[in-house]
Amino acid sequence: MNKHPHPTLLARFGRGRLQRHRNREVVRHLLTDCDDCRRVTSHLLPTADVSARLEEESAPLSVDMPGAAQGDMPAIEYGSAFERSWREVKRLQITLAAERSEAFELMRELLTQPFERQWESVTDASRQPTWAFCDLLLDTAREWGFQEPGRALELSRLGVEVAQRLDGAAYGESRVHDLVARAWAGLGNAQRIRSDFPAAEKSFARAERLLKNGTGDPVEKAQVLLLKASLRGNQQRFREAFLLLDRVMSLGDQCDDSHLCGKALIMRGFFLGLANDPEAAIRHLTEGLEKVDPAADPRLVIVAQHNLTLYLAEGGRYCEAVRLLESARPLYYQIGDQMSLLRLRWLEGKIASALGHFTEAEEFLRGVQKELIERELGYDAALLSLDLATIYARQGRSAEMRRLAEEMLPIFKSQDIHREAIAALFVFQKAAEMERVTLGLIRDVTGYLKESRATWSLRSRESR
Amino acid sequence: MATLDHPELRESLNILLKSSRPRLERVLRNFEIPPEDAEDILQDAQLTLLYKWDKIRSPESWLIGTVKKKCIMYWRKRRGSLCEAVDTAILDLLAVPQAPDQEKTELTYDLNRVMLRLSTRCRSLLNLRYGLGYGPTEVAEQMGYRTSSIRKVTNRCLAALTRQLLAVGFDQEPQGEPHDE
Repeated sequence: MNKHPHPTLLARFGRGRLQRHRNREVVRHLLTDCDDCRRVTSHLLPTADVSARLEEESAPLSVDMPGAAQGDMPAIEYGSAFERSWREVKRLQITLAAERSEAFELMRELLTQPFERQWESVTDASRQPTWAFCDLLLDTAREWGFQEPGRALELSRLGVEVAQRLDGAAYGESRVHDLVARAWAGLGNAQRIRSDFPAAEKSFARAERLLKNGTGDPVEKAQVLLLKASLRGNQQRFREAFLLLDRVMSLGDQCDDSHLCGKALIMRGFFLGLANDPEAAIRHLTEGLEKVDPAADPRLVIVAQHNLTLYLAEGGRYCEAVRLLESARPLYYQIGDQMSLLRLRWLEGKIASALGHFTEAEEFLRGVQKELIERELGYDAALLSLDLATIYARQGRSAEMRRLAEEMLPIFKSQDIHREAIAALFVFQKAAEMERVTLGLIRDVTGYLKESRATWSLRSRESR
Repeated sequence: MATLDHPELRESLNILLKSSRPRLERVLRNFEIPPEDAEDILQDAQLTLLYKWDKIRSPESWLIGTVKKKCIMYWRKRRGSLCEAVDTAILDLLAVPQAPDQEKTELTYDLNRVMLRLSTRCRSLLNLRYGLGYGPTEVAEQMGYRTSSIRKVTNRCLAALTRQLLAVGFDQEPQGEPHDE
């Protein structure tokens, strides 16, 4: 090609929109070192300043723009770009508002149905699911995870199905990938709560793969990593959990989200507590509670305050523990689910016991023990019985200790308690019969039960 | 769940989009995004913000960070597609079997003249690719690069070649060697 390519042809070349033979002609011409054409094609590439900036961007989401004073910038006019984009936002606002009001109705209807019927409803080919309905379904599934893990699992499965049926052309392929990733991570979390770790692993792997084709939204990514960290913590793979939480902190910092950072700190605090480092747990939980927004996630706040109170009490810092418990009490009632209130009474009993208010402590703990046995929560019931044993050992009440040991029989039949833990409780029971129970023995058995609970859960699930 | 159907929240989004405009314009200018492409970048970021409104706690920071990231991706993608277009065209030109000898000689002459302005390492790599028709694995083997990094090194050399063809003021490429990372 001897004559210069037309500028529109060069512009199309710059966007990679030329047919192959045209592309060949343009490049052949440019190989002749045509200065006239190079003056046109120069604009197709980033300038030296922009190239340098692209190389500098190791932290792409940092909001600051160093080295670019307002006066040095090119005078490009973006008015119409903003106006056209604004019109699209307005249009979507109206669509989403309509979708949302319909989504609440659909959700109300769905929650009244049995699972099989729910599945039929969401897979009905004549009904195209909406973004708003999917978003609401995923939030609802997450909320159920705290109260009824079985229900949460069912809703999470529905969530994955609905997310996968969203119309990528209507909502944007990358945005839909984000939402499907969120759905798989939610399912992974529901599986984790049910201690089905291998299934959870697979769900998180799918979520992470989908995120790679998503929008790159750091908040979306951080939420998936937080849930995955939770899985790693449950598996007692604390080092990996901490690395994931570091990434969440960094993403939270990048987008100025202190609530997200607070969640990561609180989760770190939980794991440090599980890893037998109560002082570090106290530090992280305190710091995390300062960062989170209680109105946004009251359940997280109450769980964090509960654990913090527990570690303070176990570390002998009773005044702080009591103060914190009193300030948290209204929130326990606000959350109001039975398990939270049960744990509150258990905590009150432990603190009363530590302060030497044995009668009050025994009353609290006896009430909670009965309910735990009724709910077949064998591990918790065993741990609580050992709290009661501490009271009797301190007061030298051997007869009550023997009776307590006898009352522990139903715990041995509980389905969630494994053989090694039963053996440890058997040792305790024999010692009680022989009036040989000491505070040291109670501490050892308690420590063993806490440690073996997670290990057993991991082993039994991974061998499936 | 986002509740943008409430008028006060809708208003807060409107206020945010207005208040963030000067900072967004600054980001776009800083990256010298052409106005016709700025619209896509802005729209995509703002619509995603709207879809995820209740999940994003610091919307202004999120929006500015996202637009900035999209600007970076815009240039990387654009640079990548230009390099690919140049590379494909040269491979096609060299592969035309029925081209007259004179045309072939002229093409080789022009290509060599442009490549002379590249670093020695890039020149050698592109000579193997265009002159001898080596594939990436063979190039890596010949030049002592790891197979895992040859794509990155080749892309850098193609970027240098594309700059030579398209941009004014790049008569001589810096002689720095592409690193084997």
